[in-house]
Amino acid sequence: MPLRNIPIRRKLMTVSLLTSGAVLLLTCAAFIAYEVITLHKSMVQGYTTRAQIIAANSTAALAFQNEADATDVLAALKTDPHMMAACVYDGTGEIFAKFPANASAGVFPAKPGQSGYRQGHLEIFSPIVQNGRALGTVYIQSDLSALTDRYYAYAWLALGIIVCSIFVAYLISRALQKQISQPIIALAETAKAISKHRDFSVRATKIGDDELGLLTDAFNEMLAEIYKLNLTLELRVHQRTAQLEAANKELEAFSYSVSHDLRAPLRHIDGFVDMLRKDSEQNLSETGRRYLGIISEASKSMGRLIDDLLVFSRMGRSEMRRTTVKMDELVADTIQDMAHEIQGRAIEWNIGKLPEVNGDRAMLKQVWVNLISNAVKYSRNRSPAIIKISCRKNESGELEFSVQDNGAGFDMKYAGKLFGVFQRLHQTEEFEGTGIGLANVLRIIQRHGGRAWAEGKVDAGATIYFTMPASDAN
Amino acid sequence: MSESLKRLSRIRFVFFILLFSGGLDLAAQTEISKEYQVKAVFLFNFAQFVEWPTNSFSDAQVPLTIGVLGDDPFGDFLDATVRGEKVGGHPLVVQRFRRVEDVKDCRILFISRSESRQMKRILADLKQQKMLTVSDVESFSESGGVIGFVTVQNKIRFKINLDAGKNANLAFSSKLLRLAEIVGSGKN
Repeated sequence: MPLRNIPIRRKLMTVSLLTSGAVLLLTCAAFIAYEVITLHKSMVQGYTTRAQIIAANSTAALAFQNEADATDVLAALKTDPHMMAACVYDGTGEIFAKFPANASAGVFPAKPGQSGYRQGHLEIFSPIVQNGRALGTVYIQSDLSALTDRYYAYAWLALGIIVCSIFVAYLISRALQKQISQPIIALAETAKAISKHRDFSVRATKIGDDELGLLTDAFNEMLAEIYKLNLTLELRVHQRTAQLEAANKELEAFSYSVSHDLRAPLRHIDGFVDMLRKDSEQNLSETGRRYLGIISEASKSMGRLIDDLLVFSRMGRSEMRRTTVKMDELVADTIQDMAHEIQGRAIEWNIGKLPEVNGDRAMLKQVWVNLISNAVKYSRNRSPAIIKISCRKNESGELEFSVQDNGAGFDMKYAGKLFGVFQRLHQTEEFEGTGIGLANVLRIIQRHGGRAWAEGKVDAGATIYFTMPASDAN
Repeated sequence: MSESLKRLSRIRFVFFILLFSGGLDLAAQTEISKEYQVKAVFLFNFAQFVEWPTNSFSDAQVPLTIGVLGDDPFGDFLDATVRGEKVGGHPLVVQRFRRVEDVKDCRILFISRSESRQMKRILADLKQQKMLTVSDVESFSESGGVIGFVTVQNKIRFKINLDAGKNANLAFSSKLLRLAEIVGSGKN
């Protein structure tokens, strides 16, 4: 596991253990290196001194050619277990006496040479001098087991020190790492708890007055700020929503009551126009009868307008009753309902395969009525009129329905106005209508979670599209 | 030196064969001079391992004299050995004496075998002179001489009479004493 992914407790301990381990290793290495060099030097020095003592003691033996005495002097070396061999050379460089006394001559260099370490042993040559006259040379040879024994001792010592120190460092760092890790862990746990329970009223515990204490303070302050902002935000959303809902209700109630209240006087106008016509039609002049006709027509038109407006305001308020709706059946029903209107028209219906959707049947029926009646209306000057109804699955996975006609069409620069209330692109004289149909369609589709838009060209027909979310359908 | 000793014993071995097969003067001559070559070197070495009283030299330039009393067995080998050598700053010289009455200012006196008959008288005469007497006459150290050469297993060794040495105010190096057979207690 890489260092950056392990928990902070172990990270801190690893860091301090690695640091102390490295320092110890380097220290021990330096100490051992120093000791090895010193040991080598002091060993040469010690054996040189020993050789010099032998040399001083062998002067008389050499001067008076007494090998037995020289051998006696050398025999003193037997107390040193590391001494391998020793000998005394006379003035001509011949071996004069040996240690051990029975050693073979092959053990010794043929002639006196230079002191130094060679092939696993130390050789020391020391001249034998009496009154400034060189009488011969002492040679001693020691094995290096004294050195290797010391090396092993150092290695074990270093190992022991390192193990003990790392153990102590482990205990210390285990105790001290809490100073750093505890506030951080407390912070991290607080943050985790907050993001899990979304409870911004929790506070992190402050442990010290260091940078971590500062961090904890800053963290807590930010939490307090978020808590405060959250509270005021929720409060404000509640207030605004309530205001909006109130305003909306008021507006809907207003338009409903206005529409509803307008119907009564209108019915009076219409009724009394009818009664006037029945009662005294013959007394009226031609002009009077025409005026009466216009009044009657205008009051009927206003009645339709009020009805549409009521439907529209009801659309926004009424509960949706979702069921599975078979769109092909709905379309067929709609066309059948319009049989009276399209009597005598040459219309080529081109209806593709339509799926089932989940929605409010009555509202969706309203959509189809509006769209199909629009298509029929705006293509009345065509023979035959071609109306194409189809559905496809678009890129976002929605069901995209379209109703296409070959009628009057419209200018695309007014495409945005098409779905507004009372927005009309044609004169009432040319195509009748209240201008509320597509506004209703858009409202219903939006309540079902879909979108609606139109494409068209003047005198080249129009296509109205709407989408329904696919998920709950198939 | 061991080389010369080895050679010495080898030559001595040859000499005995020659002696038994009729004897030859020439070989005997060589043998004696080899033995005395070693003794000449030993005489020189005694100078280095024996100390005389500090007041016996008036100054450092005074030579240290090695005297030979009687027939000189060394030829000029002794002169050759000490030539140019110094002990404690004193140059070494060799002097030869025919009679004991002539002996004067010697530090070391070698008494030749030619004087063996009158040894008692010589030693008595020299008692007053503080010198290191050396000889290869038999039982020399036992009869009051300081150092007597002996031959042990074909090797030249020596005996030291500590009483005689003390009388002559001589201090022997312990290294020298270790090599010697000691005669007398030194306590007198």
